[in-house]
Amino acid sequence: MTDRANDCPDLERHPDLARAWDRRTFLKTAAVGTAFMAAGGALVRIAADDLSREARASKRPDGRPRLPPGQRAIEYLKPMGGTEGNGDVRAFKLRVYGAVKTPLELDYAALLKLPQVQKEADVHCVTGWSLLGGLWKGVQIALLAEKAGVASDARYVILEAAHGFTANVPLSEAMKDNALITYRLNGKPFARQHGAPVRGLIPDLYFWKSAKWLTAIRFSKDDKPGYWEVRGYHNVGDPWKEQRYA
Amino acid sequence: MPDGADEPAPPAARPRGGLGAVLKKRWRGWLRAVHRDLGYLAVGFTIIYAVSGLAINHIADWDPNFKASERTITIAPIPADLPDAEAVQRVVAAAGTGTPDDVFRAGDEIRLSYASGTQVTAIGDTGEVTIQARSSRFFLRVANWLHYNRGKKAWTYLADLYAVMLLYLAVSGIFMIKGRLGLRWRGAVLVSLGVAIPAAYVLLSGGPGTPST
Repeated sequence: MTDRANDCPDLERHPDLARAWDRRTFLKTAAVGTAFMAAGGALVRIAADDLSREARASKRPDGRPRLPPGQRAIEYLKPMGGTEGNGDVRAFKLRVYGAVKTPLELDYAALLKLPQVQKEADVHCVTGWSLLGGLWKGVQIALLAEKAGVASDARYVILEAAHGFTANVPLSEAMKDNALITYRLNGKPFARQHGAPVRGLIPDLYFWKSAKWLTAIRFSKDDKPGYWEVRGYHNVGDPWKEQRYA
Repeated sequence: MPDGADEPAPPAARPRGGLGAVLKKRWRGWLRAVHRDLGYLAVGFTIIYAVSGLAINHIADWDPNFKASERTITIAPIPADLPDAEAVQRVVAAAGTGTPDDVFRAGDEIRLSYASGTQVTAIGDTGEVTIQARSSRFFLRVANWLHYNRGKKAWTYLADLYAVMLLYLAVSGIFMIKGRLGLRWRGAVLVSLGVAIPAAYVLLSGGPGTPST
């Protein structure tokens, strides 16, 4: 017997139905509640994302959209994990070696004595966020290449970092004027979780290529897929082609 | 039979027949018993992997290992020719962090380090002083370390063992309680759903090799 007014069976007359009815009510309530929360959360996220809307509407000087497909703009760098390096400037050493005439080894003070540049650059994380318009200070990789005398047949740069992390980058990307060995963002040093004291910056490729806790720059004739590249991520990682995974 | 003694209970009925008959009659009971014991054993592992999984899955939204704080204050620029001791004193006075354990000065930077992990960096040219500190989320950091198997060694085998336990729990769970309709209706629908959801996701998203948005 069903009470049509509230669509509930007469549980007093049919106590055997009580458990099943309770379970059904609970599942319905839980499903509706979850859907409501998810829809609300999605709505808030979409409505609040003015930054991404503006970025999508603007273009880079090269004509490509400011925000690559599948990305949303955020206001701060997000910590993306990884096995951290020492972080101490005193322990910092940067080797420049491989297909070069004169290998270099720089400590932090020596790095700061080189000609410094400050570049405005956007970075794009493979997980979907982009940080736009950051001011990155550091030394151009092209300058290190020039100082070390890169071999004419070198085609790749391998960024090496703490605990054996590596990221391979085509030489052409690393030689761009906004590809840096960087130690400051928006006038502040990097926090440990963001690669302190020094990280790479290859802004036109997904951000995993901009190795944190940098220890070496190796020039190479041959490509050598790095840590993430051998774990299913794309070998090049162009955000505008959405080259996220292999 | 001595006086006053209770009459012994008759022995429990044993299934007739050989091992096959015993198995046929009791396999579900044994399945449940093993499921229960492995379930107990799996509680600790599951909490570690599940909680850490939730934490790591949202790594783009928060730091699952540390609570970090950063504040910036601006003081008057620090001239490059100001002696180190005086420059450090200015920074310490502004940051209010006490005597540093280490001082490093290079280029336009003065960096103060503290045993607690706090770092104070002053940019002499701009007078901007950044104080960076962080503390570990103890449980999550340990759980994430285990989940990522950063320690390698024996944990690799323990994690393998846990994976095998999970496989047993999943498969035995299907058959533990027969229910009125067996695997028909509720069982079939839910098991199919559990297989169909990831399969549908792979199909709809294009699967590996497809750009995700």
